[in-house]
Amino acid sequence: MLWYKSWLETRWRFLIGLALLLCSAAATVFTYPQVMKLMPMVPANISGPLGERIREAVVLARDYRGYVWSQWFRQNGRQWTTLFAIILGTAGILTPASGALFTLSLPVSRARLLGVRAATGLLELLLLAFVPSLLIPMLSPAIQQSYSVGSALGQAASLFVTASAFFTLALLLSTFFDDPWRPLMIALAIAIALGIVAQIFRIHRFGHVPWGLLLTSAVASLVLYYGAVINLQHRDF
Amino acid sequence: MVEHVIETSDLRKSFPGIEALRGLDLQVPAGSICGFLGRNGAGKTTAMKILLGMVRPTSGEARVFGRTPDVEVRRRAGFVSEEKDLYGYMTVEEMIRFTAPFFPRWRADLEKKYLRKFNLPPDRKIKALSRGMRTKLALLLALCRGAELLIVDEPTSGLDPAMAEEALQAVVGHVADENMTVFFSSHQIAEVEQIADRVAIIDRGRIVMSGALDEIRESFRRIQLVFEGDAPQTEFRAPGVTHVRRNGRVLTLLASGAPDSIVDEARALNPLSVDIVPVTFKEIFLESVNTEE
Amino acid sequence: MLFKPNPSLGVPIYLQLMEQVKHAIETSALRPGDQLPGIRPLAEELVMNPNTVAKAYRELEREGIIELRQGAGAFVSQSVRVRKWSETLREAQTLVSGAVGRLRERGITDDEIRRLFEAALAGLTKTGARRG
Repeated sequence: MLWYKSWLETRWRFLIGLALLLCSAAATVFTYPQVMKLMPMVPANISGPLGERIREAVVLARDYRGYVWSQWFRQNGRQWTTLFAIILGTAGILTPASGALFTLSLPVSRARLLGVRAATGLLELLLLAFVPSLLIPMLSPAIQQSYSVGSALGQAASLFVTASAFFTLALLLSTFFDDPWRPLMIALAIAIALGIVAQIFRIHRFGHVPWGLLLTSAVASLVLYYGAVINLQHRDF
Repeated sequence: MVEHVIETSDLRKSFPGIEALRGLDLQVPAGSICGFLGRNGAGKTTAMKILLGMVRPTSGEARVFGRTPDVEVRRRAGFVSEEKDLYGYMTVEEMIRFTAPFFPRWRADLEKKYLRKFNLPPDRKIKALSRGMRTKLALLLALCRGAELLIVDEPTSGLDPAMAEEALQAVVGHVADENMTVFFSSHQIAEVEQIADRVAIIDRGRIVMSGALDEIRESFRRIQLVFEGDAPQTEFRAPGVTHVRRNGRVLTLLASGAPDSIVDEARALNPLSVDIVPVTFKEIFLESVNTEE
Repeated sequence: MLFKPNPSLGVPIYLQLMEQVKHAIETSALRPGDQLPGIRPLAEELVMNPNTVAKAYRELEREGIIELRQGAGAFVSQSVRVRKWSETLREAQTLVSGAVGRLRERGITDDEIRRLFEAALAGLTKTGARRG
């Protein structure tokens, strides 16, 4: 029954997130023809790092795969997924308003309570990472393009792994506070900061699987989750 | 054999800036209805939360069913918090269906009985229930789980007299039919006197009095001495004198046990009059929690 | 026929319940052989502790007023003496007026007499009064 409760507590966040991501993914596909039309108008003679970036973007966009990668998997999809990973991670926490004392009076260990919450959230995150991404190969024929399902799956998996780290970060932060807002703000701030760092250091590169990043994310997820369990067990309610 | 369902020994709990419990020694025997009385902020809720594992003690021991509070204790005990915490977004029916599977000894017969008796609308969301209905639902959830111990924090707070009586009746009726111990906190003395057979009075984080309610009531007397001049400052050496108050020419003693030796000692001071008056439990309580440290 | 005892009277609840049963017998509301309410239903109806009801019943049995039959319940003793309440009251009144009269003869004021009765009701015999 804990699963059902978790679902009830997270379903709106999940459904809204899914709707937003699906729209964003569809928009990515359907704006491609327009982008292609605008390509020739991009000035090619801007100097400096900004010019470099613009030329890079143009080169990428010429190829549909590059376009999808840079617009969806590196940018919009990643940002939305990270945002909702954090929103899901701060859902269903134990607060006085949400019947925390009742939950804690049940014959369930705190580790199990957190485990169910984490598992529901990660399952929902999995769907958020994969379903919109799979929409792209499905919709691409509509604009006379094609995108391989295998490629979408692989990149969605990468999205999921990195987003999970933010999910468990939000989970850990939520065990410190009595409200969902402060952990959410803090996690968002950290995510934005890390995003900027990733951009400066060009961690995401087209055509390369970021193994280092994936490994770090996976390890971080485990450590953060473990921290969340320990902190929850030491708290007084 | 464990005879005390609840037992604490020098239990202490400090929060930042507050010492909630300062060495609590509590024993609640099986089968009793024990009233846990104290002023607001005396430490009642903290003690209860420790018994259920929601709060960890700073030092000292707390045992329920002979165990440190853990998952197993919560399987055999029911808890109703002061705020009657429940999930506002669930309906009454959903709340019951959510709770029942946690308890292998869930009593479906009692569930039907209390749903009917309390008149709870199964499809109404809990956030739309009145305070009284929420209390009844919380009691239902605690009583149907086949528990051996019921811990209730302020069972009738926020309830009008009729609802309060219904809540107490449910508890008493349940105890009558099942073999159960009840440990409830209250600052309504009348309510405690009505249904408790044992009491424990907590003041500033310590137990200042505990035992069978009838025995406590029968053993206390107020002895009033009036003097010609100002009341003397003597210490009373006779055993049983618990509180002494001087007010001009009047010396008032609260004494437990046989008053004979006290009266003898009192007479030796040459008072104008010695009066022995019975004392209500309310007065015993007020005296116990008003002593300056 | 049995009412909720009043905790704030200063009289133990089980004693109040015993008095109610005795009163019911004396006014013939309960006759010898009648069955009393069961401990559990009575506790629930009066919203009082079942242990207290049990204690009252045990004391009544000890005094020979009721019988507790295993498995069947509590019944008013066949051999309990039934006295008319008015008779009992009349006797009591005579005793009290006699005592009051004698105390007044000794110069003891009404207030002091009242205090003496209070102390006696509390089960104690020693009160001292020193005339100044």
